[in-house]
Amino acid sequence: MAGGTVRLKTSLKEFRKLWKEPFLIIAVAVIFYFLIVFVLFPLFQVFKTSFIVKKELSFANYAVVFSKVYYYQPFLNSILLGLSTASAGTLMGYAFAFAITRTPLKFKKFFRLIATFPIISPPFVVALAAVLLFGRSGTLAPYITRIIGAYSIYGYGGLVLVETIAYGPTAFLVLYGVLGAIDPALEEASMDLGASRWKVFITVTLPLSIPGIASAWLLVFIQSMADFGNPMVLSGNFRVLSVQAFLQITGMYDLSRGSTLAILLLLPTITAFFIQRYWVSRKSYVTVTGKPTSATIKRVEWYIKLPVYFFVFTITLLIFLLYGTVVYGSFQTLWGVNPALTIKNYVETFQVGKNYIIDSLLLSTIATPLTGILGMFIAFLIIRKRFFGRAFIEISSMLTFAVPGTVVGIGYILAFNQRSVVFPFMLSGTAWIIILLLIFRNMPVGIRSGIAALQQIDPSIEEASTDLGAGTGTTFRKITLPMIAPAFFSGLVYSFVKAMTAISAIIFVVSGRWNLITVAILGFVDNSQYAQAAAMSIILIVIVLAALGVIQLAVNRVGKGVRASGLIGT
Amino acid sequence: MKRLSVILLISVLFAGMVFGAGQGEKKILHIYTAFDTGEAKYYIDAFEADTGIKVEWVRMSSGEVLARVEAEARNPQASVWHAGSNTSHINAASKGLLEPYKPDIDFTLPANFHAKNWDWTGFYTGAIGFISNTKFLKKHNISAPASWKELLNPVFAKNVVIAYPYTSGTSYTTFATLIQLYGLDTTLDWWAKFDKKSIMQYTKSGTGCIPMVGLGEAAVGIAFSHDILAKGIKKGYPVVMTFPKEGTGYEIGGLSLIKGGPEPELGKKFIDWNLSVKGQNLFQKYYRIPVNPKAKVAKGAVTLDQVKLIKFNHEWAGRNKDKFVRAWRDRIGK
Repeated sequence: MAGGTVRLKTSLKEFRKLWKEPFLIIAVAVIFYFLIVFVLFPLFQVFKTSFIVKKELSFANYAVVFSKVYYYQPFLNSILLGLSTASAGTLMGYAFAFAITRTPLKFKKFFRLIATFPIISPPFVVALAAVLLFGRSGTLAPYITRIIGAYSIYGYGGLVLVETIAYGPTAFLVLYGVLGAIDPALEEASMDLGASRWKVFITVTLPLSIPGIASAWLLVFIQSMADFGNPMVLSGNFRVLSVQAFLQITGMYDLSRGSTLAILLLLPTITAFFIQRYWVSRKSYVTVTGKPTSATIKRVEWYIKLPVYFFVFTITLLIFLLYGTVVYGSFQTLWGVNPALTIKNYVETFQVGKNYIIDSLLLSTIATPLTGILGMFIAFLIIRKRFFGRAFIEISSMLTFAVPGTVVGIGYILAFNQRSVVFPFMLSGTAWIIILLLIFRNMPVGIRSGIAALQQIDPSIEEASTDLGAGTGTTFRKITLPMIAPAFFSGLVYSFVKAMTAISAIIFVVSGRWNLITVAILGFVDNSQYAQAAAMSIILIVIVLAALGVIQLAVNRVGKGVRASGLIGT
Repeated sequence: MKRLSVILLISVLFAGMVFGAGQGEKKILHIYTAFDTGEAKYYIDAFEADTGIKVEWVRMSSGEVLARVEAEARNPQASVWHAGSNTSHINAASKGLLEPYKPDIDFTLPANFHAKNWDWTGFYTGAIGFISNTKFLKKHNISAPASWKELLNPVFAKNVVIAYPYTSGTSYTTFATLIQLYGLDTTLDWWAKFDKKSIMQYTKSGTGCIPMVGLGEAAVGIAFSHDILAKGIKKGYPVVMTFPKEGTGYEIGGLSLIKGGPEPELGKKFIDWNLSVKGQNLFQKYYRIPVNPKAKVAKGAVTLDQVKLIKFNHEWAGRNKDKFVRAWRDRIGK
């Protein structure tokens, strides 16, 4: 009872504190509304649909899903794949981040570029490249068979490989920011006290990077669970739930049971999310304290360097092979069969896809800055402010990311195809539905990296600003934002890249008037015009790189010398 | 940080432009097409050039079209569903999503080539066939399979690819063909053996097996003859096409008017044009068989009288699809 009164008193105090800041109240209210309309409402529609069988409320779908092997086996497979990919991807991200921030590795910019490059991975083509290289008739298959014996790229192993390459870079972005922000003075202090490099790593570096590791792991886990581009090409007989949900909806026209499978897909991602949240939030990871620091001498023993370098070089080689195959394939007369070089793929791609390219660019350009700002602001609110419904904001803002794209897409058309009490405008067929979907689907990464960055910054720096009379808005703009600028811009870059490469949710909200590049790629892949799909992917990559150059220019002006991300090696 | 507000302002302005661009255009027909992007563009460009009607279109698989039409039922965004196996159109019709329209044509369409009440109209056909990799055949010194039975030959162990019967019109047509030949129980027994011995994997789309066989990732695939011709043989893949001697099934490509669509009159014109000689002649490029007897058939295309066909009942196959597919999944477990 007493505990209850105390809690009530604290929340009253919090409320009074909040009341003094009208800006904060309005901002929180607006964000609440947005999250309800553009995250929860569409998902609620899906949830509702999963319980409706022949226009009646029923649990039949759930009973069926747990009794049929063709539903629960993919569920188990997805979890296994998610766990493996998340661990491998985080390891890859950590190895690259460590090599770049903590070792005397040469050509750091180059490796940073390599580690982030696969983020611009247009759907399908990397998996297709893997088939060309490692498939039954793959170029490298005979050599690999000689070394490791008979193997198959189709299935669990191949999927872990390709998804690690595709999603490991997300982990790298998070971990690079986190490792870069850990004050080397702490490690030096440990070394000065006589600890070996290994001891320093185990007792200082690793524990301090745990929030980053947990964030990165969760991001990769969720992406792997929701991925369907790679499993479509590579899964063989290892069937995964995201594809099954997709097939249930698009193949069997069964919105109701497809929604059920999607809800099932949510369980492990949400569990992982809560474990991560409670495990990490119990400890303090403050390393940026506002006190002066100095650079460190990066001296590392061979037994740390060797395995890290080996890992980094192997992954680099693999990325080169896969993307090289895509580039080479885009100039082939017939992908994988007739290698005579030609540019006709590009000509044809341009004729068919010109409008798709323009639309993609325009819509992504609108969505990106909005995503970045909203994401950072939500991260700031979650970490620095105490108010009623904070957990609600954190969880709901992560939700669109944890749900397979197909379901979010279906949810969006179910929700916005007519006016409703919650949202009195018609969005279907407009550019807005695409823009909003892009914003709310890509925001979570910005939020996560913002949270990871903020957890390392001592709140007293901000408190100093507040004590000097600045309000929340001013403090956020003048103090917090500059300090988390690297996380902000990597969030920006990430959301732009994802906006350009999104497919699974987008396919449901594109219209004749508004279309996207990835939809054209999907069309080419469906039509088995692999060379054209590769050409379109290369065009996409070039556009994204050019756009990142522009973002970097903007960053140089706005952030006074802050790096946008490692994507541009300059 | 002032620059940040400038960026924000610019993006809002941009957004305004986007919103503005949507206004003030008229005489536009909106359609969903199940043809592949390049092929759809080929027909639709010709229609635009011929009639002066502007078309805005989205390309999706027939499953996606159906899911989308169903989700948009209260406020349809498109007027015509262009292409896709008629079994999908029949399924949509049974859900009351289509508007009957009897096209204005000057030839008689066979009764099984359209819905009784003209909910949908067939506008091309094509038979199911086998595609085999010639390098594989040469290496194992065998001839391409020419019967359903031969697919169980141990030489093809874990080397045959077909789509899931529940996601692909091609695969469902194959399944329905076997049911009509042998009955459901025998077919399921056969498929269980086929699945265990010969299947390498299933794909989502019916044409997915063609490049896999072409690239040598699999030995044999099952697909529609026009797809094997246009996407396999004519592309230059080392493949051959054969047909099962016990008899094979065929698809009818459907065209339908979406109920409550925004431009029904333009939609009707589009459907009429697709059945005209002009529209039907275009099928030569993709080896589809036109339904208009006056239209030209591509050289090398497989017309329905060149292969041994079974008496395929599409209405029956479309209406029983859910039941048969469930039986397949319960037995095969995939």
